[in-house]
Amino acid sequence: MEAWLQNKAEEVNKITEKQSSVSILQIAKAVMAAFMGIRTKSDLENDAATLKPVHVVIGGIIGGLVFVICVLLLVQLVVRN
Amino acid sequence: MAAVHGDVHGHEHDDHHPSGIMRWVKTTNHKDIGTMYLWFSFTMFMVGGFLAMGIRAELYQPGIQILQPELFNQFTTLHGLIMVFGAIMPAFVGFANWQVPMMIGAPDMAFARMNNWSFWLLPVAATLLVGSFFVPGGAAAGGWTFYPPLSTQGGLGVDLMIFSVHILGASSIMGSINIITTILNMRAPGMTMMKMPMFVWTWLITAYLLVLVMPVLAGVVTMLLTDRHFGTSFFNAAGGGDPVLFQHIFWFFGHPEVYIMILPAFGIVSEIIPTFSRKPLFGYSSMVYATASIAILSCIVWAHHMFTAGMPTVGQLFFMYATMLIAVPTGVKVFNWTATMWRGSMTFETPMLFAIGFIFLFVIGGFSGVICAIVPIDIQVQDTYYVIAHFHYVLVSGALFALFAGVYYWIPKWTGHMYSETLGKWHFWLSMFFFNATFFVQHFLGLAGMPRRIPDYNLQFADFNMISSLGAFGFGLTQLLFLYLVIDCIRNGEKAPQSPWDGATTLEWTHLPSPAPYHSFETPPIVK
Ligand code: HEM
Ligand SMILES: [Cu+2]
Repeated sequence: MEAWLQNKAEEVNKITEKQSSVSILQIAKAVMAAFMGIRTKSDLENDAATLKPVHVVIGGIIGGLVFVICVLLLVQLVVRN
Repeated sequence: MAAVHGDVHGHEHDDHHPSGIMRWVKTTNHKDIGTMYLWFSFTMFMVGGFLAMGIRAELYQPGIQILQPELFNQFTTLHGLIMVFGAIMPAFVGFANWQVPMMIGAPDMAFARMNNWSFWLLPVAATLLVGSFFVPGGAAAGGWTFYPPLSTQGGLGVDLMIFSVHILGASSIMGSINIITTILNMRAPGMTMMKMPMFVWTWLITAYLLVLVMPVLAGVVTMLLTDRHFGTSFFNAAGGGDPVLFQHIFWFFGHPEVYIMILPAFGIVSEIIPTFSRKPLFGYSSMVYATASIAILSCIVWAHHMFTAGMPTVGQLFFMYATMLIAVPTGVKVFNWTATMWRGSMTFETPMLFAIGFIFLFVIGGFSGVICAIVPIDIQVQDTYYVIAHFHYVLVSGALFALFAGVYYWIPKWTGHMYSETLGKWHFWLSMFFFNATFFVQHFLGLAGMPRRIPDYNLQFADFNMISSLGAFGFGLTQLLFLYLVIDCIRNGEKAPQSPWDGATTLEWTHLPSPAPYHSFETPPIVK
C-alpha cells in the first residue's frame, strides 16, 4: 500500500506538470470529437495527457449549449413559413 | 499472491472474516458485496419475471381469465419498477463492485463501508415494493412511469412505492459516488485514464449520469408525495398545477435512466468481443468519446416520450432531431464492434454468443427507437405494443443479454469454476428463440393499434398475443436453466485456470488467479 501511494503521487506530479498549457481550441476539438464519437488515437492520448477534467466538463457544458442552439436554429429554419 | 492477510488502510475489518450470516451483513469487501448485489438482482429478476408471466397469462387469450383489471395494472406497474430498479440496475452495480477494482488494479472500492450500506438499502426497498401488493388497495397501478393523476389518486401502495424509490435513489447515488471515487483515485500506477478497460470507462460515465439524474427522480416523487398528503398542487390542474410538468421532470430523469441501463452493457460487450476475436477493441478512443456523447445527448431528448401530450411543433421538431442524432454515436459503437470482429480469429463460447446476440438485437431496438422518434409515426404508435417491443429489444436483448454475457465471461474468475458450455449454449439459443417469439410479434400488434397496459383486447389481436405469451413462458423457463447452470458451476464446475480465455488482456486475467483472492491487489500491479 505504501508503495502504491508513492507511485500514485509521482504519477500525479507528472500529469500536473503537463497540464499547465492547453488552448481553448484543443478543448473545443476534444468536445466536438466527443459529440461525434470519432477520434484518432494520437489526438486522444495527447488530450488525456494534457487536458484537465475541469476543462472537459466546462467545454462539454458549453458544447451542449451550442448543440442545443444549433438544433433550435435548424428547427426555426424548417418552420419559418 | 497471499490470499488472506493484507495491510489495507481503513479496511482492517475485512481481515478477520466473520463467518456465517454476519460475514455478509457486515462485509466491506467489494467481492462479497458484488456477489450480494448479483444474487439480489437475480432474485428480483425472478419476482419481476413472475409478474411478467402473470401478464402474459392474462393476455394469452382475449377476455379476462386470470387477473382482474385492477390487479393486472398492479402487475404491469410493479413488473416495470422491479425489473428496472431491482433487477437490471443492481446487477450492473454488482458487476462494477466485482470488476472495477480488479480491472484497475485497486485493492477494494474507495468507500468500503458506504458500499455495504448502499447494498443493504436494496432489500428494504424491495420489501416495500413487493409488500405493497398486500396493503389495502394493493400496489401502485399507474404504470412504472407513475404519471399523475393516477399516482396522486392511488392508495397506500403508491406511498410505499414513493418511499421505495427514495431509498433506491439514495442507494444508487452512494454506489455512484463510490464508483467515481474508486476509478478516479485508485488506479494502479501506469493505469492512465486512456488505458482503462472500456467497462471501467462506461461505468465512470454512467455513474456521473446517475449522480445527475437520481436527485431529479427523488425530487419528482417528493412532489408527488406532497401533492398526495400535504396539500400542494404541483401536478393538479385544479390547484394551478400541471400534470404535464410531471412528465417533463420524470422523463428528464427517465431518458438518461435508460442509458444508465445500457452504457455498462456496452462496456461488458466491449470487453468480450475483443477477447473472443483475439484482437484489441477497434477504435477504443472513439468508443470512449461515443459513450461520453451518448451520455450528454441523452439529457436533451426527454420529450420524445411526450409527443402526444400536447407540444408546440417547434418542440416536437427539436426533440425529434435531437433524438435521431443520438443514433450517430450509437452507430459508431456498433461499427466498432463489428470492425473488431472483422478478420479476428473468433470462437463462439457462450459469452461471445450472448455478445453477438446483443449486437444483433440491440440494433433492431435502436432502429425501432428511431422510428418512434419520428413525430408523425410516434403519434400513431405511442402507447401501443410497438413501444413495448422497442424497449424490450433494448432492455432484454440489450441490457439483460449483456449481463448474461458478462456472467459467463467472468464466472470462472468469480467462482474458480468453469460453467457447462453445453448448458450455456442451450441457454443462449433458447433465450434467443423465445425472446424473439415474445417480442418480435409485438411490433405487429403495436402497428395494428393494440394499446399497452390493458388486460383485454379485440379479437383481431388474438393470434399474435398467443404466440407472444407462449414465447414468454418459454423465456421464463429458460431462465431457470440459467439458475441451475450457475449453481452447477459453483458446486461441480471444473477447476478454472487463471485465464480460460486466451484473448483476455485485462488485469483480472493477467494478474490474478481464479478464483480471485479475497483482496485483489495488496501491492499494485505495474501497468505498462
Ligand atoms: C437509438 C436509440 C434510441 C432511440 C432513438 C429511442 C427512442 C425512443 C422513443 C422515441 C421512445 C418513445 C416512444 C413512445 O412512447 O411513443 C422510446 C421509448 C423507450 N425507450 Fe427508447 N430509444 C433508443 C434507445 C433506447 C435504449 C438504449 C433504451 C434502454 C436501454 C431505451 C428504452 C426505452 C424505454 C424503456 C422506453 C419506453 C418508456 C415507456 O414509455 O414506458 N431506448 N425510445
Ligand atoms: Cu427516451
